[in-house]
Amino acid sequence: MTTRFGMNRREVLGAMAAAGLTSAIYPHAAVSADGRILTVRSYSDIQVLDPLARKSAPEDDIMRNIFCGLVGNKTGDNWGWELDGAAAIKQVDDKHIEFTLMDGLKWSDGFGDVTAEDVKYSYERIADPKNDSPYKGDWAALDYVEVKDKLSGVIVLKEAFVPLWSTSLPFGSGLIVSKAAVEKAGGKFETRPPAQCGRYILTEWQPKQKVVLKANPDWPGAKAAFDEIHILPIEDEKTAELAFEGGEIDYTWVAVSSIARYKKEPPKNGTLEVKPSLAYVWLGMNQDNEALRDERVRRAVQHAIDVPTVLEAAYFGAAAPATGIIAPGLVGHRDKNLYGYDPDKSRALLKEAGLAGGLDLSLAILNKTERLSAAQAIQANLADVGINATIDQHDSGTFWSLGDEKSGDGWKKLQLMLNRFSMQPDPSWATEWFTPEQVGVWNWERFNNAEFGELHLKAKLDADPAKRHEMYVKMQDLMEESGDYVFLTHEAVGVVYRNTIVAGTMPNGTPIFHKFASA
Amino acid sequence: MLAYALKRTGLAVLITAVALILLISTIQIIPGDPAAVLLGPLASPSMRETFRVEMGLDQPTVVQIARFFGRVVTGDLGTDVLTRRPVLTTVAEQLPFTLSLIAMGIVWSAAIGIPLGCYAAIHRGSVLDRLAGLLSVSVIAVPSFVIAIYSLLIFSVGLGWFPTIGAGERGRLGDQLYHLILPSLAVGLGWVGYLARIVRASMLEVLGENHIRMARAFGLSEATITYKYALKIAVIPTVVVLGIGIGNMISSAVFAEIVFARPGVGKLIYDSVITRNYPVVMGAVVLTTAFYVACTLTADLIAAWLDPRVRSNL
Repeated sequence: MTTRFGMNRREVLGAMAAAGLTSAIYPHAAVSADGRILTVRSYSDIQVLDPLARKSAPEDDIMRNIFCGLVGNKTGDNWGWELDGAAAIKQVDDKHIEFTLMDGLKWSDGFGDVTAEDVKYSYERIADPKNDSPYKGDWAALDYVEVKDKLSGVIVLKEAFVPLWSTSLPFGSGLIVSKAAVEKAGGKFETRPPAQCGRYILTEWQPKQKVVLKANPDWPGAKAAFDEIHILPIEDEKTAELAFEGGEIDYTWVAVSSIARYKKEPPKNGTLEVKPSLAYVWLGMNQDNEALRDERVRRAVQHAIDVPTVLEAAYFGAAAPATGIIAPGLVGHRDKNLYGYDPDKSRALLKEAGLAGGLDLSLAILNKTERLSAAQAIQANLADVGINATIDQHDSGTFWSLGDEKSGDGWKKLQLMLNRFSMQPDPSWATEWFTPEQVGVWNWERFNNAEFGELHLKAKLDADPAKRHEMYVKMQDLMEESGDYVFLTHEAVGVVYRNTIVAGTMPNGTPIFHKFASA
Repeated sequence: MLAYALKRTGLAVLITAVALILLISTIQIIPGDPAAVLLGPLASPSMRETFRVEMGLDQPTVVQIARFFGRVVTGDLGTDVLTRRPVLTTVAEQLPFTLSLIAMGIVWSAAIGIPLGCYAAIHRGSVLDRLAGLLSVSVIAVPSFVIAIYSLLIFSVGLGWFPTIGAGERGRLGDQLYHLILPSLAVGLGWVGYLARIVRASMLEVLGENHIRMARAFGLSEATITYKYALKIAVIPTVVVLGIGIGNMISSAVFAEIVFARPGVGKLIYDSVITRNYPVVMGAVVLTTAFYVACTLTADLIAAWLDPRVRSNL
């Protein structure tokens, strides 16, 4: 009997079997199999690719490929910068930096050569208060950029500014945009850069699917290693890990809790690298909450937490304890904490504070697996000294407004909080959020120390690394002495990449895609 | 029939309006400042204020609702505050992915569920009937995200038969279908059980009716009676069930889209809720609510058309 399509039963069954077989043998290994396309993961889709108003790290990861700065970050294990779009750059004195652009740098879309005028426009528009850039602090010390000729100029500062070389210039705020193109676009742009000049050109954006970068044929330097880079937004780390294991992507970072698993059994055809992270995780205490107003109670909490146990529970041994908010390798990193695990002392302090009978506290966390595991370990530590902690999980939208005074009076009820901030490689990025001005904004512990605020400002301006180190160590001492903080860890960054490529990353694992190469 | 259709359509519009009012009111209750979440720690107070005004959050809830309805009526769903693109464009880009996922999910559920239910009815009381019953209940009980994760682990990572992520290359239909197989299985498998149970019960009822007995008396083959006459009638209740099921499948699609890192409206709404991108949440929910109500309406109208008794029970 034949069907209405003219096929008999055997033919239909045969066709189905063939379809099954086809799906079984259909090659779906990463597209880099031919060595021409690099497929990588980012943790979110793009929103704004304008250096003035960029919103997240995945945008920075793309922007440093489609634009260039005067300098860029080096890959490897030590923080440092190297020439990017500049042929030469030199700090003449505390306030003057002379630069000369590389010859032959061109804008896409017919906007001509990259000029010193573009550099002036790019940096001054971020510094201009009228533009209200979230990154205006990066150029807070900028007075103006003097254009000497087509390719050279001088960055003139109002005062010495140390983070200039570690963060302002090599990161997003140091990228150059085309004055003519941006002005033509109305002064700002979102996901469609009006002109590009980097080693790669953004040619396609499929929202929520991928961003495609193609090698820029006009790049005057060494030829890009890949014809195309496909950047796939995969929010969930576990999904990204499976995608890597399934051969769909060539590079991703993995969940901290997965590092131990990958160390034990590396992914097939892949390499795991563990990098020190700049992020810092801490247990904070709202000193203005009634239950925590007494410094002895906060100190008791500090002594109650067994940090290595907490980290073992949350990260399976992949993260080391922190001694402060400034990561190892940076100026200002402390050697040790002031107040360690001592449950007997903790109990004694509680008794002294009249709380021998116990205390009820709430612990606010973001709803992530690692935070919950850490919170449960903290809960157990606190129970051991007589503090009954209730864990309150929040989604990111709620969590990030818990201590914000502008979001209502919720901050008054905030007691303990498990928090994590990330930063760029200058200690000022770590201390920025704990100044008196930040109380009720991002300083949720409401740690209010005038000396800390003064040191934060002074340390930004002092070029002497030894003096800076001393100031940042003192700042972290002040934080810990307040009783408001238990420093937990800087975590670690695990990245996996295909054996067929060499991943070019910053010391903290941040990818510089144009420095990825075939192995 | 016309009166029924008009009444039912009016009710559908009312349901959509009430759902949207509830949605906007609920958004006001959710804690968290959209400006803080979306603009990040470096945003200045003036930026935050401008942003609140742009989102209309400075206005009373009633005004926000009125403005929103005014815009929806004119076909304007607002602007995505993150990318500055029209919400309609953002949602329209994602909608085909979710619709294809649901459509393929229905194909899975019908392709497995209907024959399974039919077979169980014909072999009522047999071991295979009991096995089919057990299988049906099992797949109903397993959440779609569990199916998604395990199918991903087994067929993609373990066996390497299917892709792990994405929706396939744009413009390549074969690749897109290939990327649909596992996510749609996760979405549709739960409905296999429902359909199998419904078809089985319906088939048993139909097989006992006079016209089937008559067909047997005429000496028609059992296969002809089953597939040509009984199944055509027995399958009608599944149309209504699938109409409602599409709504549930939208929920399942969220998980499938997250697990398989697929684009789609479900994931768009999820991401937008997390980031408090309210214009996108509202725009996407308007369209999905309208879609859901339209599916239910269509299913009801089909049922009323097939069975006149339904028309008197609005």
